[in-house]
Amino acid sequence: MKKFFLIIFFSAIVSSAQTDWVKWNAVQVSYEMKNNNELEQSVGFWASLQSAYKFLISDHDGDNCPFYPSCSQFYVEAVNNSGFVKGTLMFADRFTRDLNFFKGWKHYPVHCKTGKFFDPPYNYNLNPRSIQFLSAENSSE
Amino acid sequence: MIIKRTKSHIAEIFCNVLCVFVITVVSVNAQKLNDDFFSPKSRLSFGNYLFLEKDYLRASNEYKEFLKTDNNDTVRFKLSESFLRIGRYEEAANNFKSLFFSTSLTDEARLGLFKSLFFEKNFVRFRQYRLEENYTTEKFSHDIDRLNYISYFFDSEPLPDSSRLFSAFADLNRADIKKFYYMKKNPDTKNPVTAALLSAAIPGLGKIYTGEIGDGITSLITTGLLVFLSANNFRHDHNFRGWLFAGFAALAYGGNIYGSAASAQIYNAGVKFNFDNEVKLFFEKHNYFLPEFDFVNR
Amino acid sequence: MKKLFYKYFLLIEIFVVSSLFPQDRLSIQFDYANKLFQTSQYFDAITEYKRLLFFDEAKKYSYKAYFQIGKCYKAGAKFDEAIKYFSTASINAANENEKLSVYFEIVRTNISRRTTSRALQILDEIEKENTNTFIRDSINYWRGWTYIFADDWKNAADAFSKIKSDHELKKLCEQVEKEKVSVTFTKAISYFLPGAGEVYSGNILSGSITFGWNLLFGYLTINSFAEERIFDGMVIGSLGWLRFYRGNIQSAEESAKQKNIAIANKILKYLQYEYKGAKP
Repeated sequence: MKKFFLIIFFSAIVSSAQTDWVKWNAVQVSYEMKNNNELEQSVGFWASLQSAYKFLISDHDGDNCPFYPSCSQFYVEAVNNSGFVKGTLMFADRFTRDLNFFKGWKHYPVHCKTGKFFDPPYNYNLNPRSIQFLSAENSSE
Repeated sequence: MIIKRTKSHIAEIFCNVLCVFVITVVSVNAQKLNDDFFSPKSRLSFGNYLFLEKDYLRASNEYKEFLKTDNNDTVRFKLSESFLRIGRYEEAANNFKSLFFSTSLTDEARLGLFKSLFFEKNFVRFRQYRLEENYTTEKFSHDIDRLNYISYFFDSEPLPDSSRLFSAFADLNRADIKKFYYMKKNPDTKNPVTAALLSAAIPGLGKIYTGEIGDGITSLITTGLLVFLSANNFRHDHNFRGWLFAGFAALAYGGNIYGSAASAQIYNAGVKFNFDNEVKLFFEKHNYFLPEFDFVNR
Repeated sequence: MKKLFYKYFLLIEIFVVSSLFPQDRLSIQFDYANKLFQTSQYFDAITEYKRLLFFDEAKKYSYKAYFQIGKCYKAGAKFDEAIKYFSTASINAANENEKLSVYFEIVRTNISRRTTSRALQILDEIEKENTNTFIRDSINYWRGWTYIFADDWKNAADAFSKIKSDHELKKLCEQVEKEKVSVTFTKAISYFLPGAGEVYSGNILSGSITFGWNLLFGYLTINSFAEERIFDGMVIGSLGWLRFYRGNIQSAEESAKQKNIAIANKILKYLQYEYKGAKP
């Protein structure tokens, strides 16, 4: 925990000194309020199936999945990126992990925008290089 | 009349002397006018101020303008150092290189080049240059050697001989270095194949092996329940339901074997993440054991 | 003698002008930095303001230069840095008016950064120390903007009405407040009739689907109980009907919130791009 705060402390110092280390331009900040519900969507055939699932079922049965991306989004992304067989195995594993009652106990990092457990499919494609490790005390963008 | 003339004459002489004086003062001032905020001298002092304020990009621009008209080794060194500190390693390296020959900072510049390569994490070139005579420096050879040893903590190359590595550091830090060395050499990792095989033998066991006890027990219960439901339905001649649950059981079983291997990889990524952070914090705290040059902060 | 007098006069003039020249350099530098600022070259403008500060040994331009640097950072959406420089400007302010200008700029930066509670806090502090009508109008104007950014349109309308009973922004805020739907009411009607909340907040199709699911699972549950299939009834009731009934209330709340955001955003867009008055 001490180390974690040290990292945060050092990065805060560095980031404040870094403001002008790269030339920047004027930025117009929108007055409009952000709509947290509009999360990024995948594209492709599976995404359209997911959209149909979302439109017909998921939008009406409440917010049930404690993960981000949700189980259905996870499945679509996994199949899109790793193929049907591997994606299905990844989904089966995710679904089983979802059934674990104690999953929130010091395990997953929290996704900032949604406040859910951050569990992206790229951590599960058996390619060690694609894993982006975040500790449970940490949180993601 | 004569007296009057003399008075006027004296006044005129006085006026002329004053005139010469004022013209001198004005011309000195005129010199000052040229010596404005954008003169090389002003640019240098403003650049040095910005450098001390850690406003390195702006400082580098002032130094660049200064070097267009004047040549100064310290300023070129500070220009390189500015690039190094804002992460523009290639520009830093090139500027350090320009100080290699016939300058007063040839050794410092060589160390600077190695620093640029180190912080760029270009360890291959770092090690290659270390062996080339053109790049070596007697004065800082120990610092460069030490930096070379440190670089092994940040990449995946096999670690060099332990005794030589340890001897590059002072006694005071040797205990920490030894700890990191053995952590790097024998990391506390889990084998993904073992995890998968364990889960193949008993569902969930691989997850327990990777420290995910909750997920492991859940897998065991889920797979067991689905197998039971499948068998029970077959026993009561509900073949469709039997096959359905058997399919689900197979998915849970397969998913768990796959997930156990993935879980081991995530565990290993966690070990690496914590190790990298610990090592980085340690060396940052000690400024990578690099010497500091007073002339840079003047 | 006359000739001599002219000579003296000229000499003194040259001397005075030349000794005054460094002063002119500072003002030329300030104008140069301002020109960069006006042409939106904020990064370079900061460099020139910093150069001015570096050579301005008498600190004649400290307030103005720090103030302008703050404005540059604000234009680059680097609000933390902006506030840091505005605070330095306030330390260098020569009088109360200069200080007030900085404070209002800090308020505007806080509004842009959406740290609205801090903006309100500073406005309260300014109000405590100033009773002047003109300043009070400014306080209420920026308080109104702060409430707008805090999505509190009722208080925003109140603040603008204190400046003028028919203030343009007051009318806009009241319009938003009037158009917004009540989240509590939307949820409440969904308890009685699933899907009603969504229909009320404009999502007719989604509301109808919600109603359909609830009707289907409600029928299946009741039918199971009626046929004395108690286990089936419990399973369908808990996993099906309850799930969609609870989901209906969540969807209604979400739907109302989305509608309110859409209403507010329409006006916020107008304020950002078409409104002619002072903006954060």
